[in-house]
Amino acid sequence: MVNPIYIIAILLGSAFLIGLFQKKEKGLAGILSVLALAFAVFVSVSWFIHFTSGQQEVLQIFTGGARPPFAINLQMGLEESLFTMVINVLGLLGFIYLYRDFREEGIKGSVIFLVLMMAMNVLIMTRDIFNIFVFLEVASIATAGLLYLKKDFRSSAAGFKYLIAVGVISSFLLIGIGFFYLHSGTLNIDTYLQSNPTAVKGISMAIFLILIAIILELKPFPANGWALDVYQAAHPGISAMISSGTATASIYLLYKLLPLSSNDWTPYLIAIGLITFVGSNILGIAQKNGNRLLGYSSIGQIGFMLTILGLAPRLGEHFHFIFLSIFISHFLAKAGLFWISGIVQKQNIKEWSVLRKNSLLLFMFGFFILTLIGFPPFPSFYGKWQLIMELAQQRFFILIVAILAGSFFEGLYLFRWFGKVMKGEEEKENSLVIKWEKILPPVLFTIFAVIASYFLNNASEYGHSLNLIPIYFIILLFLLDFLPAWIKNSLVITAMVIYSVRLYPLIADDSLRLIFAGIFMLGGILTLFAGYSIKGKRAGFFPFAVMMYAGLMGLIEAENLFQFFFSWELMTLGSYILILRGKKSLIHAFNYMLFSLGGAYLIFIGIALSYFGHHSMDLNILSSSTMPGWSYSLLAIGFLTKTAALGLHIWLPGAHAEAESDVSPMVSGILLKGGVFGLILLFLLMGAEQSEQHTLLYVLGWLGALTALVGNLLAVFQEDAKRLLAYSSVGNLGYILFALAFMTNVGWLTALTYSINHFLFKTLLFLAIGGVVMRVKTHKMYEMGGLIKQMPWSFIAVLIGIITLAGIPPLAGYAGKWLFYNAVITKGWYFQGALVFFSGTIAFLYCFKLIYSIFLGQPKDKFRKVKEVPIWYIIPQAVLIIGIMIFSARPDLILKPLGNMLAQSNYFPTDPLSWENVTASTNLGYWSGYKIMLVIGVMFVILLLWLMLMSRKAQKIKQFNIVYAGERPFKPETTHFSHNMFSHYYKALGFLSLPLATGFWNGVNSVTHQVADSTRRIYTGNGQTYIIHILIYILIVYMLMF
Amino acid sequence: MKYLGLEYITVIAGFLLLIVGLWGIISQKNIIKMIISFSIIDTSIHLLLVAIGFIRNRTAPIIDSSVDKLKAADQITDPLPQALVLTAIVIGIGITGLMLTYALKLYRQNKSLEINQYKSLKW
Amino acid sequence: MNIFLKILFVLLGLFIVLNWGLIMSGIIRKIIARVGMRRGIKVYQPYINLIKNYSLRSQLTHGVMFYLGPVFRLSGGVGIFLFMPLIYGSEYWSNFSFTGDLILIAYFMFFGMLGMALGAGEGGHPYSGIGVARGLAQFTAVEVPFTLAIIALAIQYKTLSISEIVAAQQGGIMHWTLFTNPLATIAAMLSFLGAMGHSPFNVVMAPQENPIGPPTEYHGTFLGVLQTNRAILHVVEAVLYMNLFFGGAGNWGVLILKSFLIYFWAVFVGMVFPRFRVDQSIPWLLKIPLVSGILAIVLLMIK
Repeated sequence: MVNPIYIIAILLGSAFLIGLFQKKEKGLAGILSVLALAFAVFVSVSWFIHFTSGQQEVLQIFTGGARPPFAINLQMGLEESLFTMVINVLGLLGFIYLYRDFREEGIKGSVIFLVLMMAMNVLIMTRDIFNIFVFLEVASIATAGLLYLKKDFRSSAAGFKYLIAVGVISSFLLIGIGFFYLHSGTLNIDTYLQSNPTAVKGISMAIFLILIAIILELKPFPANGWALDVYQAAHPGISAMISSGTATASIYLLYKLLPLSSNDWTPYLIAIGLITFVGSNILGIAQKNGNRLLGYSSIGQIGFMLTILGLAPRLGEHFHFIFLSIFISHFLAKAGLFWISGIVQKQNIKEWSVLRKNSLLLFMFGFFILTLIGFPPFPSFYGKWQLIMELAQQRFFILIVAILAGSFFEGLYLFRWFGKVMKGEEEKENSLVIKWEKILPPVLFTIFAVIASYFLNNASEYGHSLNLIPIYFIILLFLLDFLPAWIKNSLVITAMVIYSVRLYPLIADDSLRLIFAGIFMLGGILTLFAGYSIKGKRAGFFPFAVMMYAGLMGLIEAENLFQFFFSWELMTLGSYILILRGKKSLIHAFNYMLFSLGGAYLIFIGIALSYFGHHSMDLNILSSSTMPGWSYSLLAIGFLTKTAALGLHIWLPGAHAEAESDVSPMVSGILLKGGVFGLILLFLLMGAEQSEQHTLLYVLGWLGALTALVGNLLAVFQEDAKRLLAYSSVGNLGYILFALAFMTNVGWLTALTYSINHFLFKTLLFLAIGGVVMRVKTHKMYEMGGLIKQMPWSFIAVLIGIITLAGIPPLAGYAGKWLFYNAVITKGWYFQGALVFFSGTIAFLYCFKLIYSIFLGQPKDKFRKVKEVPIWYIIPQAVLIIGIMIFSARPDLILKPLGNMLAQSNYFPTDPLSWENVTASTNLGYWSGYKIMLVIGVMFVILLLWLMLMSRKAQKIKQFNIVYAGERPFKPETTHFSHNMFSHYYKALGFLSLPLATGFWNGVNSVTHQVADSTRRIYTGNGQTYIIHILIYILIVYMLMF
Repeated sequence: MKYLGLEYITVIAGFLLLIVGLWGIISQKNIIKMIISFSIIDTSIHLLLVAIGFIRNRTAPIIDSSVDKLKAADQITDPLPQALVLTAIVIGIGITGLMLTYALKLYRQNKSLEINQYKSLKW
Repeated sequence: MNIFLKILFVLLGLFIVLNWGLIMSGIIRKIIARVGMRRGIKVYQPYINLIKNYSLRSQLTHGVMFYLGPVFRLSGGVGIFLFMPLIYGSEYWSNFSFTGDLILIAYFMFFGMLGMALGAGEGGHPYSGIGVARGLAQFTAVEVPFTLAIIALAIQYKTLSISEIVAAQQGGIMHWTLFTNPLATIAAMLSFLGAMGHSPFNVVMAPQENPIGPPTEYHGTFLGVLQTNRAILHVVEAVLYMNLFFGGAGNWGVLILKSFLIYFWAVFVGMVFPRFRVDQSIPWLLKIPLVSGILAIVLLMIK
């Protein structure tokens, strides 16, 4: 093994050697630097391998020919080898990244860079306190030197502010070191620790100064204005070094020095870290500059790591795993993003949409953003999960809330950024200038992150229980993205069929899961069929479609809460990106993500609260939560964000309406059932015996009823066909929630019938309407009309769809209505029930508007030549219609086993529904789908034949054989009747549809932004203000501590 | 304590200078004056460090004619703080030098040495 | 019972109801005319109209859905008839009421409305759409008190089967829902006004504003089909209310008398009161009828 001292020797030696070079020898200087850095990587990696392969013994390196405390010693153990390794790898890649910029400057850059690297290596390895001061200063000087190389005067100003701030901070450090020596007589950490120090006022003051200085180096909020300016002004390659490199060294330093203090720093670290995490992320919301935004995020993440450091004693054996997971995500993602920023060379985050010119860069950008936010399967997810669960076990609920709030704000601005890059306005400039040395480092970091995910998944407590096959398949799809769409589509459909076949025997005896698996898989396959109509590559569609379906299937398969949450997040992520693909869906996808993120964190807290007091993650722990009121309510609200309950519904219409034609049915007909499944699982496990559950269910019942009313009412007033369907989904999900809240056998049967029906008709309707929209290229219903002639098939599909939706016998919708009456009357929720029935009749209004405005009335000139939708849209529609017909005629096929299953479960032992052949009956009434179908069918055919006989000589009328009255073909929206069709209804009941929820959330949004915007003005830009912040910060912490 | 010992004077002077320096750095708008204030802080710390190593009635830790080589450890003051001071001075000079370079660069670019003028990066 | 015999009785019942519907509408129109100081039509005029329409030769169609509209409409009317038990205690006159209960009838009413709306829609004339939109909008509000009344009945009688509701009302006039649950009856009878489409709720047909409302798009056989349907539907709806609130009928004579009186209630109100606009009729329906429906349920819940 090479002695690590040689890292320092070689780096320093090369730096000196290069210093002797002439300017024209800069090529040689570059090569020498790369070799030196590569050597450093080699040494630290070999030591890391050495330690990870079972070696325990820590290497002590003595310098100056004497033993400590008389000379400085360095230490190389597992931790040191890990941190020097990541820093050296970063250094090597960072240098390669900056290579061309350094060349332009001559040799200076290389020299300073090598010195910086050397300083960081020493900082990690040294055991001497004064040495720490020296090399912190060296690192600061080197950083300032690198900043100096940039010509921009703003960079110089930032560099000066940085120097002043760091100078003041290190003055305190030095004073601390002096007094430390005065009281302890040594500067060696180990010697001091071995001497069993006693707490004297003097020495604790000295250690306070040392530690607070290191903490200030970590840029705690709000004493961090100087650092933000540096992040913004510096060359992104250098920002990457500061954010990932220097910060790493400093945090390890803090970790190393913490044992010195006999004071308990734990609460202070936690508080400092959390304030930084939450504060910095809130301020980030108002930020528009990309690099500065990364700075905010970077500071926030470091704050998060500080918190974890503070929690170390409480986390016990899990500390290392949690810390590493968070650290490695931040380290890789932040460096990667800064590097990408250097390629983009744009200030405003809006202009980053130029990334779309290069799919590799776009992919990496998305990858790093998601890594930062901590979506599964990205590395930080595992750490966050473990952390929250540990905190829950120790009753740190406030901490959980704060951490997740901070994460939420971070997610907010990162997703906004992500959305703007994916869908923001196109940049006019031609292409990005991409050089190989700029793209190599982020590519390697992406690969490292994937590897890290793999290892973290294996190391995490529940990771081994995950089914990773879908994840591998998603990665495969990313790699195959160059293939034409139809090949990938076939591949995905085949995979889903195979998966279904594999899954079936596992859940065959669980009708509940079987039904939802059927909806997810069958629905998935059907909706994917529509994708065959799309030509080209359809880049980036299939991996996310599979991600969504994999998530949904994961919900079904989940055996523990970890798997459940993992799948939930996977589904959210996939669906978000699918929705984002729509032409105008930027803001809607963002809203969807915000609500989903908030919802997911509520679920997270809910799970954590339920976990409290248990020792397993099994799903069953939900049935014995020690805090039923809180945990169940939070879980329910979390699921309700996905099912778009009233108040949480504002994201849905836009998201579903603006998605692509074949994505709308996926997210509406299928995805929403994910939320329903979550609710079902929750209700099943929590039961309805206790008073808390009772109250919760009662409230949810009302919420469901009101959702149904408002959703349907809003649908009536829409002019946009897809929005109309989307609001109708809100209403329908309201029914389902309402029926689930009954917690009776019939109630659940109703809810499941509704779920199946909603899947069938809403997928059908969205496919049909989506196809029409694809052909006529408008969503506005009043711009269509008379399309029945051109699209007879779509008309039939919509007709069947709305008859089912409206619950008109003989089709399957009626089954839901009938069960509903029975459920309402047996449960005794009459008024909520009446409200829901009223909503049901309102549904007729929009059903009529939908079919009338699109297919009937006067044909429009410009659509005279449109064709029927592609066959690939018709096939799934036909399958769905057959499904509806079968379910209508023989509802017993599905409802009977379901009823039996519910009756056998513990919660609904009484089965009031009895079947006699095909006739269902309860105490209240009876209904025979089959016979009704028969009677109506026979009668309908007879009457039709009769009319045909009577009017056999009927003659066809063309459009212009009759008058045009009241409709002027130009300017349709003012004269077309179906524009504002139900204005009278609005006059009468419009007050129920006022956008209160939208107003409320807009208010929350603007308050948050205003708070963020006014708070960030503490960073005045004046270097002296920053110094004052630092001084006040030290004072406040001191006063709190002593 | 009959009279104020040298070490106390040094410590008090050190702290006074520290406060002066800090005050200067946050109140003076001129960049050069800020750098000078920083140097004052530096000096104050050096004073403090020297005071820490001081042991009354002993000589400087330099082995020359005034010190018995064999009893050196009992005759000289603690050499370590003095070494620290030396290092700190070097580093302080480095930083001051870099600050001055920045000042020069800023002045060349913007013709101003007022710290208030450099607020284009904020929030 | 033999299925063929059953079908025979069903058809016979349909024939009786159709004839009674035609005669009733003649009588009603005569009464309206006399109240308005006019001579009015002959009582058998509806028969003449029907025969004339079915025998008209000139026929036009706008397309498939236009064609299907009247079929849907008549299916709706006949369908409700088929699912309705007519005479209490008689197996012969109970039609196909064994296939579904009150809820089936309540929801099957929409079947005809929807078909009609779509058929007229394909005619392409915007006035059809206007009429339909008004009709549907008003109907949502009409349904609210009726739904509350149904719930009240279900609580009171613990069943949704119409036959059983009728059975529970036997044994004297004081057992009728009218007296055992007057609030529900008020709610339902007020909603009945809206359902029947007479003034003040006839803006849907509004001949003055809409010279060509939905039915007027149709002519000849199509109109004949619609008239047939109207004759059947009026009687059947009256029979529904009779069964639910007025003790049902033990024989055809009672059925005819009660259905006439129930239907006449709507006509009577219509002759006295002027027409509502849609945005007036909806709030009206959501006031007294709604409140009485709610009170009916509240009283039952307190019991």
